[in-house]
Amino acid sequence: MRSYKHRLFLAGLALLGVLGGLFAYTQQQKPLDPYEEAMRQRQMYLETFGVLPGELYAEEGKELFFRKGPSGKTLEECDFGLGKGKLQGAYAVLPKYFPDSRRVEDLESRVYTCMQTVQGFKPAQIKRDEVKAITTYIASFSSKAKMQVVPKHPQELALYNLGRELWYHRAGARDMSCAVCHDQYAGQRVRLSPVRSPKQGLGSEWPAYRFEADKLYTMEDRIAFCYESIAIPAPAFYSEPYIALTLYMLAEATKAGKSFEELPFFTR
Amino acid sequence: MKKAAFALLLLGLLALALAQRYFGDQELEQIKTAGKAYAEVFINQRPDQALCSLHKNRLPADLLPKFLEEQRAQIKYPQSGKLMGDWRKGGAIFNNLQRANCFSCHYGSPVHLGGDVGPSLEKYGLKRGQSEAIQRYTYEVIYNAWAYFPCTVMYRFGAQGLLTPEEIADVVAYLLDPESDFNTKPAVGSR
Repeated sequence: MRSYKHRLFLAGLALLGVLGGLFAYTQQQKPLDPYEEAMRQRQMYLETFGVLPGELYAEEGKELFFRKGPSGKTLEECDFGLGKGKLQGAYAVLPKYFPDSRRVEDLESRVYTCMQTVQGFKPAQIKRDEVKAITTYIASFSSKAKMQVVPKHPQELALYNLGRELWYHRAGARDMSCAVCHDQYAGQRVRLSPVRSPKQGLGSEWPAYRFEADKLYTMEDRIAFCYESIAIPAPAFYSEPYIALTLYMLAEATKAGKSFEELPFFTR
Repeated sequence: MKKAAFALLLLGLLALALAQRYFGDQELEQIKTAGKAYAEVFINQRPDQALCSLHKNRLPADLLPKFLEEQRAQIKYPQSGKLMGDWRKGGAIFNNLQRANCFSCHYGSPVHLGGDVGPSLEKYGLKRGQSEAIQRYTYEVIYNAWAYFPCTVMYRFGAQGLLTPEEIADVVAYLLDPESDFNTKPAVGSR
């Protein structure tokens, strides 16, 4: 309970920080580097509280990880990619094919699956916020890890191909696709945000706490946000398009030798 | 004989439909797991969007004349015939993320810091004047950018029904009118 109160307090202070930051942005004559601004905010958090908001989510996720489900089991009984109970570096090999569920899963859908199959929760009992916290906890064991997403299994290859097709598929009233910005204009700026391609490490910072939104964003949250901003309805969480796109992006980043940032990351 | 021809026709149509499908059966099932609203956007992709996707936004030269002609044919004009409307209304549309969202990619707005994905529009009207030709060009690019820049990232505001012809004329005025804030006030980020 203490952690929730702590978070509420932090949220209030964060809001002040965000307002200050936004004021700085709008008043600034020269474009501010959003990365530098995030690092400045991060430092402010550390100096003021001695802890980062993302760490509090991870802490909450840890409690949920060791919570017993209706079956009496904790998530220690779930294989997250490198075998039961092995969390070190597991996030860096996902999405991958799991023989028990016979499908390719990213970390979020894997948590969702194991909460049902291992812990005995019903889908309606599983809160999105809990999955996010557990995802953050597990991903924190792959902080700065080298990405190792190499599709090999036929289902992984099929989903990689779907991800690539979705990546290039222009659709909706705004004629958008992922590629039209993230390939063609990589290195440039939409408003304040730098646009990156998978080969430049797109996706390396999630899960991350976004101080501007005062929320934690997982990879699926971030993809959903992207779809909303191009006027395409976001996919349902844990559905195949998320896993396919994540697989495509991280496999491309793996080819370019990219690593994850400090996870959970702290960003704008 | 008639029956056979009819069956052949049906088969032919089926083959055509299959040949033009971008996603396979299994892929369509996977896309549908995301929900109806999402899946419909992808299943109902327009033929010109499909062409751009297929060629990764660089159309081969032999497809260009027909493509450009089809895109041009979609352009409609305001009933009044005036291509420059109310610059104040145009500014509200230009600077709104939910409406035209122009500043996200173009530099030059006195309200928001612009991005650099598209060309800078700083002091657009002062640099180009207000001739009939520049009014028409500006209007048509906003109405259907693909008629000038095939498969570009810029939204096709008129052709996709995102803005009415009158609203586009308002944005043209915001860019061109020498009295407009866009031409009288400094762009955010300028020195």
